[in-house]
Amino acid sequence: MKYFLLNVLKTIPVLLLITLIVFVLVRVTGDPVSMMLPETATDEERESLKEALGFNEPLPVQYMKYLGDLVKGDFGESFRYDMDALDLVLERLPATFQLAIASMIVAIIISVPLGILSAVKRNSFMDLFITGGAVLGKAMPSFWLGIMLILMFAVNLQLFPVSGKGGLMHLILPAITLGTGIAAEMTRLIRSSMLEILGQDFIRTARSKGLRESIVVNKHAFRNALIPVVTIMALQTSTLIGGTLITETVFAWPGLGQLLVQAVNLRDMSVVQAATLLIAVFVILSNLIADLIYRLLDPRIKYD
Amino acid sequence: MKKGLSILLLVFVLILAACSKDSGGSDKEQGEKPVEKSDSKTLVVGFGTDVTSFDIHNHNTTSTEAVHVNMFNYLVKNGGKEGFLPDLAESWENVDDTTWSFKLKEGVKFHNGEDLTADDVKFTLERVANDETLLEYGSYKQIKEVKVKSDYEFDIITHAPEPALLNRLSRIGSGILPKDYIESEGWDTFVNKPVGTGPYKFKDWKKDDRLTLEANNDYFGEAPKWEEVVFRSIPEDSTRVSELLTGGIDIAVNIPPTDVERIDATEGVTVKNSPTQRVMMLVLRTAEGNVTADPLVREAIDLAIDKQAIVDSLLGGAGEVTRTRVTPGNVGANESLFGTSLYDPEKAKELLAQAGYADGLTLTLSAPNGRYLKDKETAELMVAMLAEVGITVKLELLEWSAFNQKYTERTFNDMFFIGYGNSMFDASLALDRLQFERAKGETDYNNPETEKLLITAETNMNLDERVEQYKKAQEFIAEDRPQIYLYQLQAITGVNDRVDFEPRLDEMFYVDTITLK
Repeated sequence: MKYFLLNVLKTIPVLLLITLIVFVLVRVTGDPVSMMLPETATDEERESLKEALGFNEPLPVQYMKYLGDLVKGDFGESFRYDMDALDLVLERLPATFQLAIASMIVAIIISVPLGILSAVKRNSFMDLFITGGAVLGKAMPSFWLGIMLILMFAVNLQLFPVSGKGGLMHLILPAITLGTGIAAEMTRLIRSSMLEILGQDFIRTARSKGLRESIVVNKHAFRNALIPVVTIMALQTSTLIGGTLITETVFAWPGLGQLLVQAVNLRDMSVVQAATLLIAVFVILSNLIADLIYRLLDPRIKYD
Repeated sequence: MKKGLSILLLVFVLILAACSKDSGGSDKEQGEKPVEKSDSKTLVVGFGTDVTSFDIHNHNTTSTEAVHVNMFNYLVKNGGKEGFLPDLAESWENVDDTTWSFKLKEGVKFHNGEDLTADDVKFTLERVANDETLLEYGSYKQIKEVKVKSDYEFDIITHAPEPALLNRLSRIGSGILPKDYIESEGWDTFVNKPVGTGPYKFKDWKKDDRLTLEANNDYFGEAPKWEEVVFRSIPEDSTRVSELLTGGIDIAVNIPPTDVERIDATEGVTVKNSPTQRVMMLVLRTAEGNVTADPLVREAIDLAIDKQAIVDSLLGGAGEVTRTRVTPGNVGANESLFGTSLYDPEKAKELLAQAGYADGLTLTLSAPNGRYLKDKETAELMVAMLAEVGITVKLELLEWSAFNQKYTERTFNDMFFIGYGNSMFDASLALDRLQFERAKGETDYNNPETEKLLITAETNMNLDERVEQYKKAQEFIAEDRPQIYLYQLQAITGVNDRVDFEPRLDEMFYVDTITLK
């Protein structure tokens, strides 16, 4: 437990660094005030708004003010929505979680059987087909896949709604879009993990005592092969969040990803800062959880 | 190990349970209702962005105002050629240079049942005229105060003569807000549960997804035609088009020219092109030290560019060539300069030779990438056209924020490519950038005759005289070319054939003008 507490403490400087990087990046990539006003605004209008919003102060002063507010739990106001930035971000989390979990389910449904199959039938035509498919799945850009799925299943076949958030039917196409890339990665991982286990002594022992092949594969090999897979699943959080930026935009899914994209476009700085900080916390947390699961699954690993 | 496995097993069982529920549910739904369809009582409009805010004074997005006009009312409506029409105000009069006197309609109620009075007008207009943190402050700071004379009568006093006051009062930020509601509940409540006087009232807002409005049956005007109106936010163009094709939305804005053919080929949906207030142009420096200081060079640039070819080949016809920025529908428009353009590459070469550049010349063009429809492609095509007459262009393509930085700092070189809108529908906003003081560092345009016309027209309270002054100024500008106007952008809107919809020049969506066929 001490190990984890220590790791939690270690994240504080990391988060601090993230706030600094994001703070500076949002400000050096363009003057927010001139992004907020139309082309026809006069110089005086720009100046007075800048002054009023406190952008005329030196950057270090602005940063210290931001940190000071942050410690008090104040993430600032969204210009766009006139709302507390943190509330806005938290409001979007459930939609993104829903999409992320659904994609993970899609990824598991695809990758577990395919990964095992290609390991068991190593070097067969089937194996080639699956590993080839995995490369293709990883290589397909998700915006392209999303648009193709919409055209095929929503426009031509009219089986699913095109976009938006609604019932389960609305979830399927975006979940497949986001889940495919992850499935591809997990298939390859399950395959190599299975191959490694299948070559080990205890499998040979299991086979030599006359167990049926299905029991050897499913009970002895797969369970052990799962250890790295489960960790990778937890580590995929960052991939998932990166994926939601695109998938949510393509499918008009009102989650954190779309909020962040729109906020960056409009230079809604408080929202960008709050969202990235929260995402950073999630990624760090999921890494810690991966650590924890790893230890739970494999008692040989000890932390001191 | 055992504990770990049992956790894993549990996770998988849960996942499986979720999956089976997933497919079971979808089977059932497939049979009944494969895709969402709007019905005869509900209108669904698909925008590219969500409404930015319900603080009507703190946004400057046309698409947000397009929604707000259904919930709030202005004092007067800008009827274009018909002049200004009564909305909340029954009558008005320009008493002297700085005083406008108004009379409100009686019996108008806000959505929460409060009566509309002159106090609400004072509260609304004085807020935006005084609070400089608000994005619309710049368009209202001309108002000095609102003097309440009785419940339904008030005077608007301006700091200086303000001939375009009615234009200012009929656009973004002009909706009248409920004073008592906001003062007792606070702005935080208002922006989440907005209250106006309009034909539709707020029902529900799922940010970046959909805003639902419902009919206000106590509306003071004509009864609302729809029970519910849904404004969806669909940022990806191709997704928005797909929604239109499947009947998920009745109207889709900002159709990319590349998708027009796809929509035309589909039965039940139509594409409509309609003029907008945005005019694309080249802005040239006329200051000594730039090659563009020579009027002959500026004229040659104008003559070398085939504007109609740009409209036809890049915009799919969604544009109209122009030689002025004040397009029809605006006060002071010089219509003789609209719908026409100059193109004569041979003469352009002669002009260059006359200016001493027979062997060609080199200049810089800065252009934004991704801000306007086909901006990068247009800039590249213009570079090729200019090369034809011997002008070598160094093209600087910039992402919008980088472009904007240079634009506000006024550090462009010879010329830049930009598109200006005009939500004021008045020549003053379109031309004031060319007044000498404001043109410094940008065009440095300085023609004493134009200057005199622009300065007098800005505060001239005689409408006819003012229009003539602006018309004359546009002729000078078209000859002097501190800005070379290319084309007026058109909006491409996709419409389901079940509804009648005529896009408006101001890009507002007055829902009650959209009807079922």
